[in-house]
Amino acid sequence: MARACAGDTAAREAIYSVLAPATLTLIRRIVGQRAVAEDIFQDTMMAMYERLPQFRREAPLGAWLRQIALSRCLMYLRSPWRRMCLHLEAEHLARGAAEASLTMPGYRGEWIDLERALGTLAPTARAVVWMYEVEGYSHEEIARAFGRSVSFSKSQLARAHARLRAWFEPQEGRQSCTLI
Amino acid sequence: MHPDLDPQPPLAQLLRGLPETAARPYGFAEFERRSRERARGAQRAMPAWTLLAVVIAAGVLALSLRFGGRAPEGRGSAPAVEATGPPRLPAGEPATVVGTDILEQWLATLPREPAVVHVGTRAAVTGLEDRLAQVDDLLSVARVEQARPARLAALQQERTRLVGALLQVRYAETLVDESR
Repeated sequence: MARACAGDTAAREAIYSVLAPATLTLIRRIVGQRAVAEDIFQDTMMAMYERLPQFRREAPLGAWLRQIALSRCLMYLRSPWRRMCLHLEAEHLARGAAEASLTMPGYRGEWIDLERALGTLAPTARAVVWMYEVEGYSHEEIARAFGRSVSFSKSQLARAHARLRAWFEPQEGRQSCTLI
Repeated sequence: MHPDLDPQPPLAQLLRGLPETAARPYGFAEFERRSRERARGAQRAMPAWTLLAVVIAAGVLALSLRFGGRAPEGRGSAPAVEATGPPRLPAGEPATVVGTDILEQWLATLPREPAVVHVGTRAAVTGLEDRLAQVDDLLSVARVEQARPARLAALQQERTRLVGALLQVRYAETLVDESR
């Protein structure tokens, strides 16, 4: 850490190789589109190196970086530019969950199903689901993070749950990747 | 954080079971290259912003000399925006939250898009709005983390500067629209 703070390239690279995959994964799960995710990822990693001297080691470095990544994702989701492009979101969703979903060779069937199901949600709903279910944020904290009301968080979560439940209900014509 | 005393719902379990490193980021060398590129881009953007600010300020001055001052007779049907123009902070008043609130209220009265969209100014407006959203986010993080008053003041100052810049650009847009 000390070497990385002093600008030692090898130390910075070591930190990058350990933390970058999980960081990009988190960002991609929230924002979906690869190009946008890489942009936010670049911002996040640059911010991490810039703020490294201020890191107080009260939490693991990975958890700290996760907070920065999450904050950057929310910044993107809240930006006026993105709000102006909201009408494109429906089109993006219509293109299917495959593009937004995150899969890689060796992925288990149920993971692929789940990633595809997440991919069907709008990025804002995905962020709310992820923050509530995985990161452990409360509705109040999510509402504060988005600058919205608590009922916004609750309704986003309820709608997302309903959508995910519908996705997992067996339907003709949709092939599941889950081995039964 | 919400209490996790209840048994985890299946969705949370499934989501938490997803692999943390499902996305492969580009290598460290590419990260460094992109970081350098961004730093260069930011340096290049500085003179462009300065030039844009000068052009806008000159435009505002020229238009206000031509159409400003006392409103001519018979223009009573003109929109309220034109009649009043942007509010001014009392001379000598420090840039405060209350002060920017007045400016933001005026900005909120403007139509989302001007009558004629100029690509250059639109880019400036969206850029400023994006930057404003970023500063808002930093401010809320700083407040939650109870950052030093100096940092809060610096962020607030930056916010005031951005609101001022946005106000100038939007005001110039309204003047140009009405001069047509």
